[in-house]
Amino acid sequence: MSASSEALSKYVTLISSDGFEFVVLREAACISGAIKRMLDPKNAFQEASRAQCKFEEINGIVLEKVAEYFYYNYKNRNREDVPDMEIPPELCLELLMAADFLDT
Amino acid sequence: MWGSSTNKQQGGFLLAADRVSEACSVGRTDGPGASDNERNRYPTNSRSLRLFVPQHQLCTSTQSPSTQTHSITIHHCALDIEIDIQIIAAERGEQSTINSPQCKTNTRCNPPFLSNLPLRSNAPVPPPNGARPPRQIRGPQSALTDFLASHNINANQIRQDANARRQAALASQQAVDAANDAPSPDSDSDPIPAPARARRNESKAQSAKRKKDEEKAIAKIKASKQFQRRRKQYNSDEEMSDEDEAARAFFEESMAPLPDQTENCEECGNRFTVTPYSRRGEDGGLLCQKCTKLLDKEEGAARKKRKITAGRQRRQIQSNLLDGIYPGAKDLMTLCIETLAKNVDLAEDFGDLPASMVERLSAILCKRRLLKPETINLFLRPGNDTVVVTDGASLSSDDYIRIFQYCPTIKYLRLRDAVQFKNKVMDHFLATNITLEKLSLHGANLIDDERWDRFFTEKGTHLKTFQLHYTDGHFGDEQLELMPKTCPNLTRLKIVHNQKVTNKGLEHIAQLSNLTHLTIGIYNPTNSPPYVKIINGVGPSLRTLCLDKAGVDDSVLEAIHTNCQNIQKLRLTDNEVLTDQGFANLFTNWYNPPLTYINLHKCRHIDSTDPRDNPDGIGFASLGFEALMAHSGKTLRYVDINSCRHISLESFERVFAADKKYPDLTFMNISFCQAVNDFVVGSIFRACPNLKTLVTFGNFGVRDVRVPKGRILIGVPTALGMQIEGTEDGEGRVAG
Repeated sequence: MSASSEALSKYVTLISSDGFEFVVLREAACISGAIKRMLDPKNAFQEASRAQCKFEEINGIVLEKVAEYFYYNYKNRNREDVPDMEIPPELCLELLMAADFLDT
Repeated sequence: MWGSSTNKQQGGFLLAADRVSEACSVGRTDGPGASDNERNRYPTNSRSLRLFVPQHQLCTSTQSPSTQTHSITIHHCALDIEIDIQIIAAERGEQSTINSPQCKTNTRCNPPFLSNLPLRSNAPVPPPNGARPPRQIRGPQSALTDFLASHNINANQIRQDANARRQAALASQQAVDAANDAPSPDSDSDPIPAPARARRNESKAQSAKRKKDEEKAIAKIKASKQFQRRRKQYNSDEEMSDEDEAARAFFEESMAPLPDQTENCEECGNRFTVTPYSRRGEDGGLLCQKCTKLLDKEEGAARKKRKITAGRQRRQIQSNLLDGIYPGAKDLMTLCIETLAKNVDLAEDFGDLPASMVERLSAILCKRRLLKPETINLFLRPGNDTVVVTDGASLSSDDYIRIFQYCPTIKYLRLRDAVQFKNKVMDHFLATNITLEKLSLHGANLIDDERWDRFFTEKGTHLKTFQLHYTDGHFGDEQLELMPKTCPNLTRLKIVHNQKVTNKGLEHIAQLSNLTHLTIGIYNPTNSPPYVKIINGVGPSLRTLCLDKAGVDDSVLEAIHTNCQNIQKLRLTDNEVLTDQGFANLFTNWYNPPLTYINLHKCRHIDSTDPRDNPDGIGFASLGFEALMAHSGKTLRYVDINSCRHISLESFERVFAADKKYPDLTFMNISFCQAVNDFVVGSIFRACPNLKTLVTFGNFGVRDVRVPKGRILIGVPTALGMQIEGTEDGEGRVAG
């Protein structure tokens, strides 16, 4: 795929350490600074050319929550009084680490 | 005789008046409260007239003395019968006359019925042709139906008759309409939809008339003041935008049955007595008590909750705005940390959380007053080198001692509101071999001077950062004198809200040769010489210089101008001596690279007798401001010139002119700068593309300004007080 064509690809794939794949709207996923940089065609990473990111340190359960957050954020990007997203307390720490890594 | 009847029903029975009144009472004696005497007089199985008048049947009686005619109207809703019973005083021997043409055509006027009545009727009427024989098999029916059936009257027949009459009336109406070439009142162009509860037994002509009346009433309502007022209310909390709809709702409300009348429940159809508290259902009809309860239960919790949380939400939004948090979805990290803080009692260990996160978590816990002796353990991990407690008010001395016990490797300790960090804790700390590189204590006013001396002598060698806030009567000149000897590596020194240090003690700071960050804010009156001495001593290496409430004059500014070459952050506040020219000289041809942080709030001239004039050019004013922005505008990120009231409008206009750009500026406080107006604020937003927060308290020239997307404007004075406004794009935010 050429750089110009995947700049147009609307969706990107996020792969967890245990092999789960999440196909997410690019615009939503790019809320994360890390993913945005990974997928930036200017940086010419492998991720950018394939439009998929593999996270060796994030498991499927956490990545699912991350993907859910991406859409929650995307949906509420221009709103006020946004209700907080529910986060199960048991996932909290792992999710926090993931959030730190992903820069969201 | 018929003419005396005010009722317009077409059917009529002729009965003896007192018989009927008696009959009614007899009917009632069938009930549980009836006396035996009455039952004996009118046995229930007798053929005498029995009229059971249930509560829901409306019974009216009129009497006209001249004609000796009684009229009783019984509306039986269930059977849809409207009967007009006209009674003639036949008992007195008068002949009942049924010579009215109306009566003759009326098939409901049944002669056998009359003949069976306990009255003397001399004028038997022949049976009508359409009468059916009585049925053999009957279901349960009301007493009235029973009675009527026994006289060959039946409901079906009556309905058929009514329909036939209606048809006739309609036909005649249409004929009239056709003759007049008038449009049919029931055409599709009817502007007002039929109400939910359609009237039965209504000819089209009647319904048209009723609709016309309704329209008139609604037009009247629309014009009324009460309606306008109500509509404003509706608009404020609910969407009742359509005027017609609102007027109709209002109309139907006013047409609703009054309290104590009966009505059919909209939901279940049961009849019930209307009370002032009867609720309206979805279609506007009233609900019975049972259905009201159900509805309340269904939505009650949500309705109540919404009302309570609305205020809290508004406050939260305002609080966030003032904290500079732009409304919108929070980032994932914040969400996680907040969830974690909520469930902190479930947590056993934070695992490998990065130090920056632990710090944030600690801050949020402290903000919620959750940092208790139980939770502090989460932050004390062996091998940890940093402990930050933003609010240690609920910790005891033993808890502070525990910090040193659990984390023997601690290097950086920052405690705020650490009142219980007292001699006992200091003694314990001095007895350990822990070497702190950073100690930041806030509110530890129970450590005496002797302990401070011991601290500097025993632990001073490794100390790089020392910050002390609010020590009340402790920590004075002697300690400052000791520091240069015992703390050779000190690079950051902050002593604020100190009540003991004087001019004499300050001079010793000049000997702290490695100092790069210096903040002094002491309560005792001070003057320039010690500060000049400090700046001459450590000025060249200083990166931060903050002097709060120091009574210094222009000589300090000159010293800064000559000595300092590495300042990034400069704060000189609360001063009524420094002059505008002094500031201008400081920032003109200054060898120092551009600043990133400047805070000169309350450097201004105040004279209550002559508030406008500033003849001596005291304070940070136009000259200084222009020189500052020329020198540092490129890199400034934080500007606080709050209360610098003599900066002129022209000066603001020149600084934020169309060709100026301040790309790094993210925060600016221009409160109480009287010259600031809408134009200036607009220019600032234009000139500072990255400005996040602009504070403009007390600037009465700022009234109605467009706030670009993603920016926050705080402190717009309005007559309404606290106010949130979306702008044209609904993007920027304003907090009052």
